[in-house]
Amino acid sequence: MDEYDELFEIQDDFEDQFADELEAMAQMEDESAKPGKRQKQDPGGNISDIEHPLDAQPTTPKAKRQKQDAGVAKRLFNSLQTQESKAPTERDDITPPSSPEQCETPRNFRTTPAVLDISGFASIPETPRRPPTAAPASLHVLRRPPIEGEYISVTDTSGSRVYLRQTEDTGTKVQDSRLVPDPQGSLGLLTVPISVLRDQEAERRHQQDVQESQRLIDLLSSSVNDVLVQPEEESDDPEDTEGRASRLWVDRFSPRQYTQLLSDDFTNRCLLKWLKLWDTVVFGRERKARTARPDRQAPNENSFKPNQPNQIQNRFKTKIEMTEELLEAELDQYNRPRFKVALLSGPPGLGKTTLAHVIAKHAGYNVVEINASDDRSAEVFQKRIDTATQMKSVLGSNERPNCLIIDEIDGAPAAAINILLATLSRKDGHGAGAETTKKKKKDAILLRPIICICNDLYVPALRPLRQQAFLLVFPQTQPSRLAQRLAEISVQQGMKTDTGTLLCLCEKADNDIRSCINTLQFLHGRGHKRVDTKTIQCVSVGQKDQNKGLFHLWQGIFQLQRTKRKRIGEGFDEAPGSGGGGQRFEHILHLASSSGEFEKVSQGLYENYLSMHVRDPNLHSVCEALEWLSFSDRLNQVIMQGQHFSLMRYLPFLSVAFHFLFAHTHVPRISYPHSQYEASTRLLSSRNALSTMLAEIPACIRTRISQLSLSLDMLTLLLDIICPKLRPVNPQLFSSREKEQMRELISTMLAYNLSYRQDRTPEGQYTYMLEPHVEEVVRFPGLPPRRQLTYQAKQTISREMEQEKMRRAEQLMLQRNPAVHKEAEKKTAGPNPIKNHQQRLENIVKQTTVEIRPEVDFFGRAVDPKPQRPHPTSETGEKCAVLSMGTAVGDSDVWFRFNEGMSNAVRRNVYIRELL
Amino acid sequence: MSLWVDKYRPTSLGKLDYHKTQATQLKNLVQCGDFPHLLVYGPSGAGKKTRIMCLLRELYGAGVEKLRIEHHTIVAPSKKKIEINTIASNYHLEVNPSDAGNQDRVVIQELIKTVAQSQQIQTSTQREFKVVLLTEVDRLTKDAQHALRRTMEKYMSTCRLILCSTSTSKVIDPIRSRCLAIRVPLPSTEEVCNVLTSICKKEGLLLPPELAKHITEKSGRNLRKALLMCEACRVQQYPFSADQDVPETDWEVYLRETANAIVSQQSPQRLLEVRARLYELLTHCIPPDIIMKGLVTELLSNCDGQLKTEVAQMAAYYEHRLQLGNKAIYHLEAFTAKFMAIYKKFMEDGLDAMMF
Repeated sequence: MDEYDELFEIQDDFEDQFADELEAMAQMEDESAKPGKRQKQDPGGNISDIEHPLDAQPTTPKAKRQKQDAGVAKRLFNSLQTQESKAPTERDDITPPSSPEQCETPRNFRTTPAVLDISGFASIPETPRRPPTAAPASLHVLRRPPIEGEYISVTDTSGSRVYLRQTEDTGTKVQDSRLVPDPQGSLGLLTVPISVLRDQEAERRHQQDVQESQRLIDLLSSSVNDVLVQPEEESDDPEDTEGRASRLWVDRFSPRQYTQLLSDDFTNRCLLKWLKLWDTVVFGRERKARTARPDRQAPNENSFKPNQPNQIQNRFKTKIEMTEELLEAELDQYNRPRFKVALLSGPPGLGKTTLAHVIAKHAGYNVVEINASDDRSAEVFQKRIDTATQMKSVLGSNERPNCLIIDEIDGAPAAAINILLATLSRKDGHGAGAETTKKKKKDAILLRPIICICNDLYVPALRPLRQQAFLLVFPQTQPSRLAQRLAEISVQQGMKTDTGTLLCLCEKADNDIRSCINTLQFLHGRGHKRVDTKTIQCVSVGQKDQNKGLFHLWQGIFQLQRTKRKRIGEGFDEAPGSGGGGQRFEHILHLASSSGEFEKVSQGLYENYLSMHVRDPNLHSVCEALEWLSFSDRLNQVIMQGQHFSLMRYLPFLSVAFHFLFAHTHVPRISYPHSQYEASTRLLSSRNALSTMLAEIPACIRTRISQLSLSLDMLTLLLDIICPKLRPVNPQLFSSREKEQMRELISTMLAYNLSYRQDRTPEGQYTYMLEPHVEEVVRFPGLPPRRQLTYQAKQTISREMEQEKMRRAEQLMLQRNPAVHKEAEKKTAGPNPIKNHQQRLENIVKQTTVEIRPEVDFFGRAVDPKPQRPHPTSETGEKCAVLSMGTAVGDSDVWFRFNEGMSNAVRRNVYIRELL
Repeated sequence: MSLWVDKYRPTSLGKLDYHKTQATQLKNLVQCGDFPHLLVYGPSGAGKKTRIMCLLRELYGAGVEKLRIEHHTIVAPSKKKIEINTIASNYHLEVNPSDAGNQDRVVIQELIKTVAQSQQIQTSTQREFKVVLLTEVDRLTKDAQHALRRTMEKYMSTCRLILCSTSTSKVIDPIRSRCLAIRVPLPSTEEVCNVLTSICKKEGLLLPPELAKHITEKSGRNLRKALLMCEACRVQQYPFSADQDVPETDWEVYLRETANAIVSQQSPQRLLEVRARLYELLTHCIPPDIIMKGLVTELLSNCDGQLKTEVAQMAAYYEHRLQLGNKAIYHLEAFTAKFMAIYKKFMEDGLDAMMF
């Protein structure tokens, strides 16, 4: 609590802050006082706990009572379950009553559990209630006659006398042979032998239960006076220890009460407060007005004004204050808290699930848990959420409102989380005022708290939930508290340890409560009654096989651990990474082999080892390191090619070698290895460029070159060759020699599938890029730049190339199907082109006389004269206009035809070669 | 078709410019219309492919020059699709199986078998066999080479193989013994000069003999390179001058500078710089063994005679590892570091000897 004192110096504040908690603790004290009282009243003492459910069931308790009983009830049921599980195994041994003379004793001996089982739970309290004194015991036995009567009626062959006699015999025998020092033995002497036997049997069982519960109570109240329990545990019969060993200590010693929680107090308190915010809507209780500090409450009521006295100084609130403020915030229109979901996150083994359970029970809820073992597909999830939040059990002890705990939500599918979100954001159509009466319609608003638990808060699926949830991040458990708890457990289990050892264990397990307790149990199970630091260090169980991350590994390899400060307790002076060579060797080997990503690890080592501050004037260690690298490379190759995976065990030794070569006390600056990835990407892109270039090269050249010769011999020179000096003038003005040069250049470029493509640089300038990007393949940085063509030259080349390409394409097409060419020729030169438009114009055309003059087309080239049409005989002056029109139309290659409404207008057959 | 290399490439055995005795031998070989499997090897730019094409033309006539590119898709047993391009005429098929990388065995098995298993229909007018031309055989994996062994014998009646590689050291013995090996050595300096001069004459240019010699030296007698260099010179400056700058390939310049960097300083920092440069070379599609070779050549020319044997021995050691391993950069750097260590020690010893 001292940390809170630091946070909130004012005592009143403290009270205010901890109001909920104090209240809860007060309740708990009440509760714990009650069993204490009962213990005093009851002569049996230990049995008292079992009576709880009996008391609780008939009376309908208030909420406060319920929460307290929850823990107890669960404990009881646990013990009952163990009893039940034992009973059938014994019943199996029952031989059929055909030959009663031979095996009556065992049968009689075992009727009790059978009866217990048949008659159900109702009969259980009878036995414990019976005080272990003589008279009431016989009374209870006398109540049994119905059983015996039944017996008689059923087994009609043999009389009751015989039976009674035999049991008497066994009873005395047992008594004689017994060495048990407990008072029951003496009691047995006074009563009827059968009943004594039964009593003893029942007693023994209940003794176990009672011991269990007693021990738990002791544990819970942290009372040290387990004098009674201790020796009895020592003298447990073998069967009993077996039964115990099968249970995990983690479950046995898990906290049942709020005060027992090991996790951070602040976190606990926040969750409890959040859960208490639901009281208004769930239990219909008004929020308690904090009358103790009205001056502080007032600004809170006005809400959202952050002018509280202690927050006015620092404008930027700490995270803790932020959380506090979230909890202080107003309820929404349905009196629900603003955040409908609490999201607990933290590494495994810190007690998140336990916290959620304990707090939910504490606040008076019935816990409904959904975890990863359940089906969490969308439909099932929806159903379960609805069931849990809208229904309520009406039978039995848990007629309390449900609190839904969704455990391990980070593994849930995104669809399930979306359903959860939809449930959260449901709106009630009827507005405020309807919050107390539950909606019967299907989409009722959420009126029950939901607690989600996850390990990794930043799973992508959880992103939407994060914004709507009250986030609570679990801090590390304090090793001192954990060690204290471990000490309690080990004392109870009769193990001898000391604080240093336990702290060492905590450190080894990274303060993982579960792992610590499991390790202790493991050691206990192995027969270690005494645990010291050495055992802990030798044992490899408690170590978390957690992926520490590559950087951690690299750091471990390159950094020498400084010897840590001596702790309390002897033999603890060496951290795992320091110390002698052997220990370092083991440590690094363990680190490296647990990481598993050998490839990445060796890359990281390779990229970083040269920047380590190691004095190595002769480069010997560098050579050594590279030997190792090439060894591991060969190893990898052999593993991958021959599938010799057994060789993989030798891979981690690379890390060890590097550690011994380069480790230094300096903190190494380690960068993530990118270069190999980058290199492979670049290699791939150059390969791609080359293969795109190769792909389109015509076969006759393609056969002479390969990628290799291209990159080694040709490309650099080729790029030089395609950069001739060109006069920056219009290509029309080139001399014939220059034209020839240009032609060669273009044919080369076409032959090698190179072309210029216009590109826009980020600065907005246009450049011509060589396509494919083979320039990058051959150019090296730091070399004098090669001569580049000017923009104009490239433009010219590009244009000429396009033309040449078109020319070639057409030539190719004409070559392929000369018929088309012929036809085209015929069409253009044919005397009577049959076209639609000419049909209409025929009358005009027929009348035209064609003037013979050399026609020149648009580009100034001579066009073949059209064959003359037959002269119309009637040549009159009045048709002059028509004639001229006919001449114009009939001789032209260009036609225009007007169609009303639309036009596919000017038509003409054009060939590329005419344009170029 | 306008690069000189392509324009003036001889197309028949009679027109070859050098190794004329070999040319006549080849001509005699195919005279009778049949020949054994061939393994043609020799350094790049010596004219292996030219010779092979001439041979095929001798065998099948001009039809062999009508080439087309075919795309094949082969499905490996692992359901992986392998795409490979082949160049084919009616009479032969040219494959570069190493294009398929690790899956080249499948290519060999499927593609060649398909070709080999199909019989020629009309044997009277055609040859009885087709020719499969495999290039870059030295880059074939061992698996693929083994796959080739049986195919070579089994389909002898329908198919001849011509293997083309730069060296026989990576061709497994069983294959070597099944083939007639033909070595095509590099042309001599005079031969290269003669070729250059004659081509320039055909182009109507005047090539000074000094420049021709210079080009030949720069190109390392690689005729293809020499011709390209000559043409680049022509583009750069015409009329030629005897002391003209001959353009070089960038990677060689870069490699030379890298070697100089190694010699000038030996420290981890320098090693880091060298690593960056080696990466640069590797990403520009320069094969690691060629980098190694170039590096050794440059380093040997730079270091003292006493060191040469040791350096050469080391280079062989690391080159071997390079072949065995997968990550070239480790081995290249290992060689560099080792050279640095040796060189530094040598220099320091020399310095000590000078002092006393």
